[in-house]
Amino acid sequence: MNTFDTSHIRNFSIVAHIDHGKSTISDRILELTRTVEERDMESQLLDTMDIERERGITIKSNAVRVMYDADDGETYQFNLIDTPGHVDFTYEVSRSLAACEGAVLVVDATQGVEAQTVSNASLAMNADLDIVPAINKIDLPSAHPEEVKVEIEDELAIPADDAVCVSGKTGEGIHDLLEAIVFLVSPPTGSADKPLKALILDSYFDEYRGVVATVRIFDGHVKKGDHLLMMQGGEEFLVDGVGVRRPAEFAVDALGVGEVGFVVTGLKDPEAVHVGDTLTLVNNPCDAPLAGYREAKPMVYTGLFPIDNKDYENLRDALEKLHVNDPSLIWEPETSAALGFGFRVGFLGLLHMEVVKERLEREFDLALIATSPSVDYHVYKTDGEMLEVRSPQDLPDVTRIDHIEEPYLKAKIITPPEYTGAVMQLAIEHRGITTDMIHLSQKSVEMHFDIPLAELILDFFDQLKSRTKGYASLDYEFSDYRVSELVKLDILLSGDEVDALSFIVHKDKAYGLARGLCDKLKEIIPRQLFEVPIQGAIGNKIIARSTVKARRKDVLAKCYGGDISRKRKLLEKQKEGKKRMKAIGSVEVPQEAFLAILKVED
Amino acid sequence: MRFEALYLHIPFCKSKCAYCDFDSRAMGEGCALDEAVATYCDALAAQIDAHGRAGDLAEVQTVYIGGGTPSLLGVRLVELVRRVLGYCDPVEFTCEANPESFTAELARSLRAAGVTRVSLGVQSLQADELRVIGRIHSVEQALEAVALAKGAGFSTSCDLMCGLPGQTFDAWRDTLKRVLLADPDHVSVYPLQLEEGTPLERLEAAGKIEVPDEDFQAQCMDIAAELLHAHSYERYEVASYAKPGHRCQHNIAYWTGVPYLGIGRSAASMCAATGDVSLLLENTFDGTPDSESDGTSDGAAGRSSANSSTARIRFTQLDDAGEEFDHEFLTPREAMAEDLMLACRMTDGIGPELLARAIRVVPANELSAACDRAVERKLAAWDNGTLKPTHLGWLGGNKLFGIFWDLAADA
Repeated sequence: MNTFDTSHIRNFSIVAHIDHGKSTISDRILELTRTVEERDMESQLLDTMDIERERGITIKSNAVRVMYDADDGETYQFNLIDTPGHVDFTYEVSRSLAACEGAVLVVDATQGVEAQTVSNASLAMNADLDIVPAINKIDLPSAHPEEVKVEIEDELAIPADDAVCVSGKTGEGIHDLLEAIVFLVSPPTGSADKPLKALILDSYFDEYRGVVATVRIFDGHVKKGDHLLMMQGGEEFLVDGVGVRRPAEFAVDALGVGEVGFVVTGLKDPEAVHVGDTLTLVNNPCDAPLAGYREAKPMVYTGLFPIDNKDYENLRDALEKLHVNDPSLIWEPETSAALGFGFRVGFLGLLHMEVVKERLEREFDLALIATSPSVDYHVYKTDGEMLEVRSPQDLPDVTRIDHIEEPYLKAKIITPPEYTGAVMQLAIEHRGITTDMIHLSQKSVEMHFDIPLAELILDFFDQLKSRTKGYASLDYEFSDYRVSELVKLDILLSGDEVDALSFIVHKDKAYGLARGLCDKLKEIIPRQLFEVPIQGAIGNKIIARSTVKARRKDVLAKCYGGDISRKRKLLEKQKEGKKRMKAIGSVEVPQEAFLAILKVED
Repeated sequence: MRFEALYLHIPFCKSKCAYCDFDSRAMGEGCALDEAVATYCDALAAQIDAHGRAGDLAEVQTVYIGGGTPSLLGVRLVELVRRVLGYCDPVEFTCEANPESFTAELARSLRAAGVTRVSLGVQSLQADELRVIGRIHSVEQALEAVALAKGAGFSTSCDLMCGLPGQTFDAWRDTLKRVLLADPDHVSVYPLQLEEGTPLERLEAAGKIEVPDEDFQAQCMDIAAELLHAHSYERYEVASYAKPGHRCQHNIAYWTGVPYLGIGRSAASMCAATGDVSLLLENTFDGTPDSESDGTSDGAAGRSSANSSTARIRFTQLDDAGEEFDHEFLTPREAMAEDLMLACRMTDGIGPELLARAIRVVPANELSAACDRAVERKLAAWDNGTLKPTHLGWLGGNKLFGIFWDLAADA
């Protein structure tokens, strides 16, 4: 049983640097193939999360089936997998690529090759995919497609003669792109006769149907009622239904070899399904599971605490549900004297952290406080034991520490030559060491740095963008652990140490940061009815201080008959505001105070 | 429905002050003031009669005619006073007056008609301050008005404002000292509040004037408290100071949950939400108010015991004729929280009697937690079984009030 001739199937991803126009091109493809009628078109159809549309970024991959009537008179089944463009989500890209035979590499005709273009192209090449270069935004007056072609050939070593020039905005060239996909991307291989072998490339939790897994069939087929096994997880289940997204969900009789679609597992435990696992039949299993993928390792850790301690269990449930399709998310319980019970959560990067926090707040209606981000420090104690410390609170006493190692990255920045000085300066300020500088072309230089991850997770990216007028792009990967002189900086409010405000910092930067943080907190913490001294300290030594002056008056003097309702409404408003505050001792501290470190300028 | 306090609103002024967002129509010279006032007063009279005949006013203990500028009405004000007194026999009858329109003749007539108390809008005794806030009287007129009111036998009150543009501590002290020399029986001290849409707010936003900050206001309030106290005025509420026997009973009614009736545009009324309410407002509402009360009114037992264990209704007159109202309902619990909140405005604080009533409506643990919180934050302190606001509680009242208003809903 097969539903579609594999020679007429094309599975491909669209990869690009952020903002180069993947989602717009996806939209045009859906439109041109009449998958979605024009009247139903919503911009960036595949970005289904509110956060994605609002920010114009793709966070989650999304697989959609498109039927294309090609110029050769044949109808092709395209399975299009949209991928994120932000460096935090590189792992999503590699997951998507494992389900494809081809990749459309989109390059912005006005921006040219950027850092993520390079890394996405190499991911695609390493996955042995057929690459279809597409130069987007050719409608813009500043487009220079011919130069971009040269860049693609010189910088990526990808032949660009056949590069398709398109405009996601006007739709120009989209037809040529679809034809190029037919000719350049190989059809899937695999056997319809072999037992089922399918890769789970994504999954999500549905309140009514349980876990729904997005799959790519490599061998065999799957249909409703099949008794399946997850080869690594070992869990078994009966298939409740299969379907495809176009992009609305569409039930089908079966998913055949080479096809991409979804399987309703009916499993109610979000943890039961692992992305990257292989699905097969219980009674007729395939010989070996697919390679799966290396789980993405979290790089950034932060404490997430519910403002209302009663929400602790809800937060745990919410994290578990998000984990279903975001396996990179990890967490462990954390207790803070200031914030109560919460979790130390690991993220792929700062954007990932922001996105997860926002999803938890919006989709699960939780009010959360996030604490200063930290990395995974290796702390070697005098007794020789090594501790992995992801929270400043877990740092042992100074007397028991022999030395501390911190994670370093290999960072790659592509920038126009005129900004190399500015980039180098920025790197130095962030303890970066320039290791290489390659002139890619007249217009771009690729700079390599070794830089501590801890430096990169604060304001590095924003600074890079602002100092290079937005031209420079950044990519990075983990390098190694190196010894650093690190200290724990504590913040005291009204003389009491607030554990949730502590962070680990390089000794040379401690004074500057302490001062910056004290000043920032002074702005953030509203005036109270009493004076609030803010101090920065290393151990017992106070190294910075500021004061929130007391608010001397907070009362409406007039309150007669008709004023009373008004007065009450004022108090109600005051109460709403208070919900966003955390009382630490007698000081009311707004949420953003705990992330003030991100806003401190050196 | 029987009310114990009656308020009449006179929404007319000769000219509108720069800080004022009250309901009042300014009538410049030569405008059709007289006609508008006549029509309005007729409507007031009709409403007074309607309530009077219905017996709503029989138990009224205090009357307050405010504005606007009631003294602007002249003889019509005296007529209103007489009309009201045809239906009740209050112990206190206050009229607000502005210095420029408080004439000797008016003073005599009002006193003769039965007014016992005059509240004068003095605001400041510095000519430059009066000018910038748009007052149309002089320093001398203000002082003369105080003397006149006292001479006519009124319990006399002066309203003062601090935190005015250009005001200095010295100027504020000077105003206070000159007021003390004039020797009124009662003084109210209000920090200037920049209300949205007022000329003063626009000037401040445009950077044309500088308004002292809250710290300055706080200091002014402290200076006033100190000076007035030294001259045997007792602070009995956040903004109110009185010589013995001269507390404003009408205002105290607002803060102790006593049912009050407000007549006139924008005037507010409050009473227990019992069946009578629908009769009172007749065609105002589509149906009978949804009352959660047990239907009994312990208000009848006397002024000191308000209807705080029943649901309440508060309504605000929206038009001149008294045909349109805005209304809100307060559950017994909300009503109780409101009483507690308002009690925190007063020196007398939350006494054993109020606590005893509160405990019938609010869970005891929540009530005691709220009291503890207020004490812990130094906003209030226990004194012989009464929770009284501290100095911090006076100035940071919103925090203190918030603690008790939070009791309006389940914790």
